Amino acid sequence: MKKITPRVNGQAQSREVPDNRLLIDFLRYDLGLTGTKEGCSVGVCGACTVLLNGQPVSSCLTLAVTADGAEITTIEGLARGDKLDPLQQAFIDYGGFQCGICTPGQIMAAKALLNSNPHPSKEEIQDWMMGNLCRCTGYYKIIESIQAAAEGKVRV
Amino acid sequence: MASLVSIGQAVGHVEGPAKVTGHTLYSADVILPGMAWAKCLRSSFPHARIKSINTAAARALPGVHAVVTGTDLPDVRVGRFYLDIPLLARDKVRFVGEKVAAVVADTPEIAEAALRLIEVEYEELPAVFDALEATKPGAPILHDSTPAHPKPPAGHEEVHISPPIPNVLSQVFYRHGDIKAGFAQAARIFEHTFYVPPVHQGYIEPHACAVGIRPDGKIDVWLSNKMPFVARHQLAVAFDVPDERVRVNAVSIGGDFGGKGSLMDTALCYYLASHSRRPVKMVMNYTEELMAGNPRHTGHFIFRTGVDAQGRITARYARALFNCGAYGSFIPAHTLHGAHHAGGSYRIPNIEIESLRVYTNTVPRGHMRSPGAPQTIFAVETHMDMMAVELGMDPMDFRRLNVLDEGDVAPLGERWRHVAGKETLEAAAKAAGWGTPKGKHVGRGVAMYDRPPGANGQSTASVAVDAKGAVTLLTGAPDTGTGSYTVLGQLVAEELSVPLSQVTVLHGSTDEASWEQGPGGSRFTNTGGRAAYDACQKVRQALLELAGENLGCAAGQLSLKAGQFSTAAGKSISLASLMEWAAAKGKAPVSGAGVYNPSPVDVTVFAAQIAEVEVDVETGQVTLRKLVTAHDVGTIINPLTHQGQIEGGAVQGIGQALIEHLVVRDGQVTNVHLGDYKLPTAMDIPQLQTVLVPTGSGPAPHQGKAIGEHSNVSTPAAIANAVYDAVGVRLMDLPITAEKVYAGLRAKESNR
Repeated sequence: MKKITPRVNGQAQSREVPDNRLLIDFLRYDLGLTGTKEGCSVGVCGACTVLLNGQPVSSCLTLAVTADGAEITTIEGLARGDKLDPLQQAFIDYGGFQCGICTPGQIMAAKALLNSNPHPSKEEIQDWMMGNLCRCTGYYKIIESIQAAAEGKVRV
Repeated sequence: MASLVSIGQAVGHVEGPAKVTGHTLYSADVILPGMAWAKCLRSSFPHARIKSINTAAARALPGVHAVVTGTDLPDVRVGRFYLDIPLLARDKVRFVGEKVAAVVADTPEIAEAALRLIEVEYEELPAVFDALEATKPGAPILHDSTPAHPKPPAGHEEVHISPPIPNVLSQVFYRHGDIKAGFAQAARIFEHTFYVPPVHQGYIEPHACAVGIRPDGKIDVWLSNKMPFVARHQLAVAFDVPDERVRVNAVSIGGDFGGKGSLMDTALCYYLASHSRRPVKMVMNYTEELMAGNPRHTGHFIFRTGVDAQGRITARYARALFNCGAYGSFIPAHTLHGAHHAGGSYRIPNIEIESLRVYTNTVPRGHMRSPGAPQTIFAVETHMDMMAVELGMDPMDFRRLNVLDEGDVAPLGERWRHVAGKETLEAAAKAAGWGTPKGKHVGRGVAMYDRPPGANGQSTASVAVDAKGAVTLLTGAPDTGTGSYTVLGQLVAEELSVPLSQVTVLHGSTDEASWEQGPGGSRFTNTGGRAAYDACQKVRQALLELAGENLGCAAGQLSLKAGQFSTAAGKSISLASLMEWAAAKGKAPVSGAGVYNPSPVDVTVFAAQIAEVEVDVETGQVTLRKLVTAHDVGTIINPLTHQGQIEGGAVQGIGQALIEHLVVRDGQVTNVHLGDYKLPTAMDIPQLQTVLVPTGSGPAPHQGKAIGEHSNVSTPAAIANAVYDAVGVRLMDLPITAEKVYAGLRAKESNR
């Protein structure tokens, strides 16, 4: 067991966790933040993507103890009250999700992209988003959603 | 008459805010007080007798609440039509991945540690993996008896359940015309065989369930199942309790594609909750999904077709042999539909189709988006292309000559009201520039499919308008991601002349909503839509009567437009003011219950696709440069969600064509994680050109048709035909890998 004190969505947390506790289980079951989803469990599908110190990571492959002292942002931390992040609104307006199970990961990955590259080309979006699988949309509308958010086309 | 404020608007999903903020509840998100976790030990043998199971060490592990084997449980078999899946294997295991024992523990980690302490002694039995082998005399037999099942529905087909052929669960014949006479008219007869291996639905949400038993005996269930009322009944049968004792709670489905219609682990989960006297949750990991989910059936096909001197088809015999794996009950019917499409979208006056489902010692197969059809249509459309080539005809011209057109009778004798096959095919040909010059090693291939909008099962909806004029629709159908709640909301907004933002679509548990079949089979815009429409008509009439009372005239003299009830003389009242007035008189809310009962549809819906590929002749690599997908449409209620179905389906079709293959070797699935089982990524999608062909009215409210299972079916054949057009390599099985194309290219060279 180890005590960790990350900041999660801006709030300081302090928990004792087993050394082998995965970050995804820490978020979902210790903190109750079930917006982060587990798909493949092997770091391939991207559904569990969260931001760790601003960088996208697969929380299913990350040990919770490595997040000690870190800043973690999950899908629950993106909106400000009722005000959605432009990416979230774009995914609604442009049909960037259907069933929604991969959407938290898609949006967190896209957030990391726009943080480092605010005006990506379509090819850069495709290349970056390759690590986030979606079985519903065929990706066309995910790409359009990210483009729309980057181009400031959505109102929030 | 309502003004058209909502129908045809490309609005985003009404449940969008919850989905983009992570607040939507899926089965795996359910956390119950005092909940324990269960995990299963699975068989590593494809066919073996269980001699003994030693669970002592597992039971002794701290944190373990129960360890259960098949003989600890009642001999319950679960299923959707046939009942053949035991809760846990009892006497023997029939596939690698079958559940043999289950552990309930405080955490999933402890449950997994306990599984490793269970010792099972097996006696291996001869096994059979290939469906053709399984039907031969002397093949190992999987099941000694016919599983319990209801009477198959009366239809036009001839049905034999457990016929005297080894391991065959069902044998179905579809016949129309006289194939002997048809073949006698033929100038040439062609025969080809095809093979389509299994693919997985690939939803990103693995199956999950949770069961809690209340002190009063009420059984609370959460599960990844798109048909909660059907599941409730199956569970009640498995638990031997009345339906009402079970409550299936409302959760969203994280991807269905046909795969989320079974109980999966839920019946077992109930018995584990009962044994351990606490709520239990089970979540499959993706390895379990791939080795023991319910992937698409493997298909083996023989097609024999007679063609007259002009190139017109005179007769067809088709035999479809579907490998259903170790159990047959993941599908909700006596047979896997899909083989009945073996005539394709063509004029075939004489046809006989034989369709078999065969048990083998492999992962049990289930339903996936347009069940049986992508396999069958790959055979149909590749066969069409091969005949065109042998006849020296352009593949498009051969199809033009035979495709269903207005007034034609479909292969199994259906007389559809609109027959837009030719129109849809021509629209695709025009958009794709069929016949225009192509580059070197570039090819184009075409394929078609049609299926009618779904119409089976009852749907219900309750609509209520509250004292402030806010409208709520309550449905018992889960959202699987298709945008059905948005479509329902738009229908309600339209009929009651309110903005969509004033309508809330609520999903109720089986205790709250009325009986509802749930989505599937491209039916919900039709069935759920008609139930919502029916409810709205009742509410609308009640509102008109209220408004008549308020305005001092008969309801029939009022119109409802732009949110105002108005008389011809110009007196009017808004819905909000009317409801405020009604509330003061104790007459709010106003509500109505709607129902849709199954009624046959009289249209089918066509799709035609043309793929353009470029083949690297050095490596065999196929690049899909463009896919044209043309669809016969009625009124499109929401163009955004409609297009979403087309795009998602087309990419699934591309995946099946070029990438996906659930590899089963010696009975074992060998690509058991999503790193090995490849799904298409954002880098794998071609330029997609959608062509919408407005052709007439469909059965759904406002004359809508169906789109859910129309864009994924013909894609593999279109791509395979394009590869042939590009480099002359014919693929008669899937997927179309670079290795196969390379081998085909080298074989052509050595034949030269």
